[in-house]
Amino acid sequence: MKLTRTITILLFLSVFGLLAVRAQEDTLTVLCTPQEDWCVAITQAFQEKTGIQTSYVRLSSGEALARIRASASDPEFSIWWGGPADAYIAAAEEGLLESYESPNAEGFEPRFIGENNSWYGIYMGATGFCSNVQMLEELGVDAPTSWADLLNPKLKGMVAMAHPATSGTAFTAFWTVITLEADKLEHPDGDMEGEGTGEGYTEDGVPTQAAIDNAFAYFSELNNNILQYTRSGLASGPMAGRGEIAVSIIFSHDCIKLQVEGFEGILTTTFPEEGTGYEIGGVGVITGAHEPEAARMFLDFALSVEGQSTAQQVNAFQIPTNPGTPVSEMSVDFSQLQLVDYNFVAAGSLRTELAERFDKEVAPQPAE
Amino acid sequence: MSFSGGRLFRDPVLAVGLVVVVAFILISILYPIMTMLGVAFSADGLALLVKYLTERIYLNLVGNTFLLGIVVGVAGTALGFLFAYVQVKVDVPFKRFMHLMALVPLISPPFALATAFLILFGRNGLISKGVFGVRADVYGLSGLSFVLTLSLFTVAYLNLKGMLQALDPAMEEAATNLGASRWHVFRTVTLPMLLPGILSSFLLLFVEAIADLGNPLVLGGDFEVLAMRVYVSVIGLYDTTAASVFAIILLLPALLVFVVQRYWVNRISVITVTGKPTGNVQMIENPWIRWTLFAVIMAFCVLIILLYASIFIGAFARVPGVNHEFTLKNFEFVIKGYGSEAMVDTTLFSVVATPIAGILGIVIAFLVVRKKFRGRALIDFGTMLGIAVPGTIIGIGFLLAFNVPSNIYLPFQDAAGQPLYITLIPKLTGGRALLGGALAIVLVYIVRSVPAALRSGAGALSQIDPAIEEASISLGADSGLTFRKITLPLIRPAFLSGLIYAFARSMTTISAIVFLTTPQTRIMTQQILNETEQGRFGNAFAYCVILIGIVLAAMAVLYFVVGSTTGAERGLEGGA
Repeated sequence: MKLTRTITILLFLSVFGLLAVRAQEDTLTVLCTPQEDWCVAITQAFQEKTGIQTSYVRLSSGEALARIRASASDPEFSIWWGGPADAYIAAAEEGLLESYESPNAEGFEPRFIGENNSWYGIYMGATGFCSNVQMLEELGVDAPTSWADLLNPKLKGMVAMAHPATSGTAFTAFWTVITLEADKLEHPDGDMEGEGTGEGYTEDGVPTQAAIDNAFAYFSELNNNILQYTRSGLASGPMAGRGEIAVSIIFSHDCIKLQVEGFEGILTTTFPEEGTGYEIGGVGVITGAHEPEAARMFLDFALSVEGQSTAQQVNAFQIPTNPGTPVSEMSVDFSQLQLVDYNFVAAGSLRTELAERFDKEVAPQPAE
Repeated sequence: MSFSGGRLFRDPVLAVGLVVVVAFILISILYPIMTMLGVAFSADGLALLVKYLTERIYLNLVGNTFLLGIVVGVAGTALGFLFAYVQVKVDVPFKRFMHLMALVPLISPPFALATAFLILFGRNGLISKGVFGVRADVYGLSGLSFVLTLSLFTVAYLNLKGMLQALDPAMEEAATNLGASRWHVFRTVTLPMLLPGILSSFLLLFVEAIADLGNPLVLGGDFEVLAMRVYVSVIGLYDTTAASVFAIILLLPALLVFVVQRYWVNRISVITVTGKPTGNVQMIENPWIRWTLFAVIMAFCVLIILLYASIFIGAFARVPGVNHEFTLKNFEFVIKGYGSEAMVDTTLFSVVATPIAGILGIVIAFLVVRKKFRGRALIDFGTMLGIAVPGTIIGIGFLLAFNVPSNIYLPFQDAAGQPLYITLIPKLTGGRALLGGALAIVLVYIVRSVPAALRSGAGALSQIDPAIEEASISLGADSGLTFRKITLPLIRPAFLSGLIYAFARSMTTISAIVFLTTPQTRIMTQQILNETEQGRFGNAFAYCVILIGIVLAAMAVLYFVVGSTTGAERGLEGGA
């Protein structure tokens, strides 16, 4: 009977097909936080260089942190690459990152080397506003140059950002506002050099509860203009590009990347004048990694000029931390920016708590 | 032919079949769901449950979900009915084309329609803004329900078309002969007779809509629904307790609807679907009605073509919707990156799952329809749970149940004083899972596909006279031989439609596998999700085009291998 034979053959195929699925010969599993194309580029470069079979999963930084925490007893990943250092500091505080002294970190600025060598900086990027020129024109609004500009009622439903619980991009923006509020409380007269009031920062230089509450007040108000909180930090950029919203709050290098990759003349990058935050992208070996040797090799590679140069293949315009890595001329010139004094350690320690509070107080609220 | 329970177990082939089926239901359907319920009803879970059901923001979430379900249920059933009515009762040209267009959404990769819709009708849509100059706001309930209606109405269409065709025209003729007007006949005869079909379509669409994950992620805006929350709780926050609690809020209505649809609606049915209608169907002749209906249906057909065309064109555009410079860059990224791996994996897993699901479904159908033993209703119910339960719930259940190996500890210790144990089920999900998590994904594909195979098999079986099988048994064949040589060939069309459905379903499912992919296994729908979420629609469309291509190719192969033309056609029209 023909049918019976067909079924038998199908069944055999099934069983053999399943067995033929690769027998877990992978030797390095990377948890990757930057854009997908960069994940592909660096893992493939590493694989070519070392011959180590490398695979990755891309998760935004809050998601990555949650996942590492959840699988701490039997880690799914051996190394975490990319995404703001705040999350790395939070992970290191929980003992989730292994201390490893990389020979390639020589000559790195001290701020790019985490406490106990638990993480290293691989790039820097500044928070910015990514706006659709045409949309702004239609709405009769100028490209925002301050955080207050985003509260313009004309921008109702026209702003998007990611959720700080899942996205490092959004958390960096959030901490930037906290810092600005703390500065305001500390120096109500605007003279940053003068004696502080002690209202904005505690003695350890951590923003006070009052400053944090003010930042929450700001984001609650901003919530009325927000169309959607995306999961991934850079997702709101293309939304602005397609004209679904007018302004996206993302890292400036992601906005520049979009302009290079099809949105030229459509998007424009601006920065808040009162001060903007920045990220140090991190890399760290995960505690209890099943592939520790390969993970350390990957870390070394990520700090090397060769590894950091993969950025330019994929239009990733972050500023590399290795002094030897050439900087793209498309990159943002940090010396032109008004940067806030971003306290990475405090941000890392308070990250989880703040993200949860944001989830409860701001994000699930439907915009009024 | 009536078997007593004892007789059943004296037949070894049947007994083996039964054991396999029961093990399948217990391990891959009930165990994951129970594990999830266990987490949801733990102390932490209960505290969250109380909170979610009392605080306003969470109640809004629940309210949104049901609102979406109701709107899509009503709109989808109405649209399906319109297509079916025109197909069966109205004399207009291009019917074959309309039928095809109604079937097209069966192969819609998740996100594809929502994304295409955004490009055409979004705030800066090529049509809404480009042609009409309107800045449409499609985020939220309106856009979401529109896209869901378009992607789901096929179920209602097939369901109602079958019923309309089975409707005995004698009834309507009688009413007409008694002097009733067309409208009167439609209102008092046709509609009431279709009521069970309409109701069951509504319920099916309701469940599909509240369980949908892909479209709300793209078009939700600030209109949040439960499925989204389940997803964010797991992927974003890795809070499986919260996810389980959201999931059971979703599970209860889904189960309720399933029970009502399956055991109540079917009972009030007044149509004997199996009976052959007598007489000729009266066609609608009023030109106003005919051409109005024609125009409406054609408008929807054009819309479907537009959406699919923009997927196809978008796959070759630099930035779909913004910059339509021709490029192969999207395909290059998909194929040179990890996309080709995803293609191979997804296709392979679906190819493995499809025949297993098909055979399992037919075997269960055979057991349930032909054999009489206690608990067969339970087996039917247990199998159907695989589809009645929203995909996200199956996914979480698998993640929770199979993330650690299930061991049985023996009352002995080894030399080092460690207790000895036997691993019953190895770790199937998460990092370093067996076969990189492939087994779990294949199992989920099977779980989600078997119900359709079971229903089409059961439908076909109940129309075949058991006397044929009895004859075979009388002549000395055992039940295995009879099943293979008599039953299977007779229900081949149903088997084929079951297979096609299973394959298309596996290839395009997202909600059930989104929590189960690992670095070693890449699934195309998951990759589409990544690209869509990050706004790279060109890459997402390239994936969609490839996915659609694979499904179509597989359908062609299945027709070729399993079906003769006539049988295949019957299968697709009657089943799917």
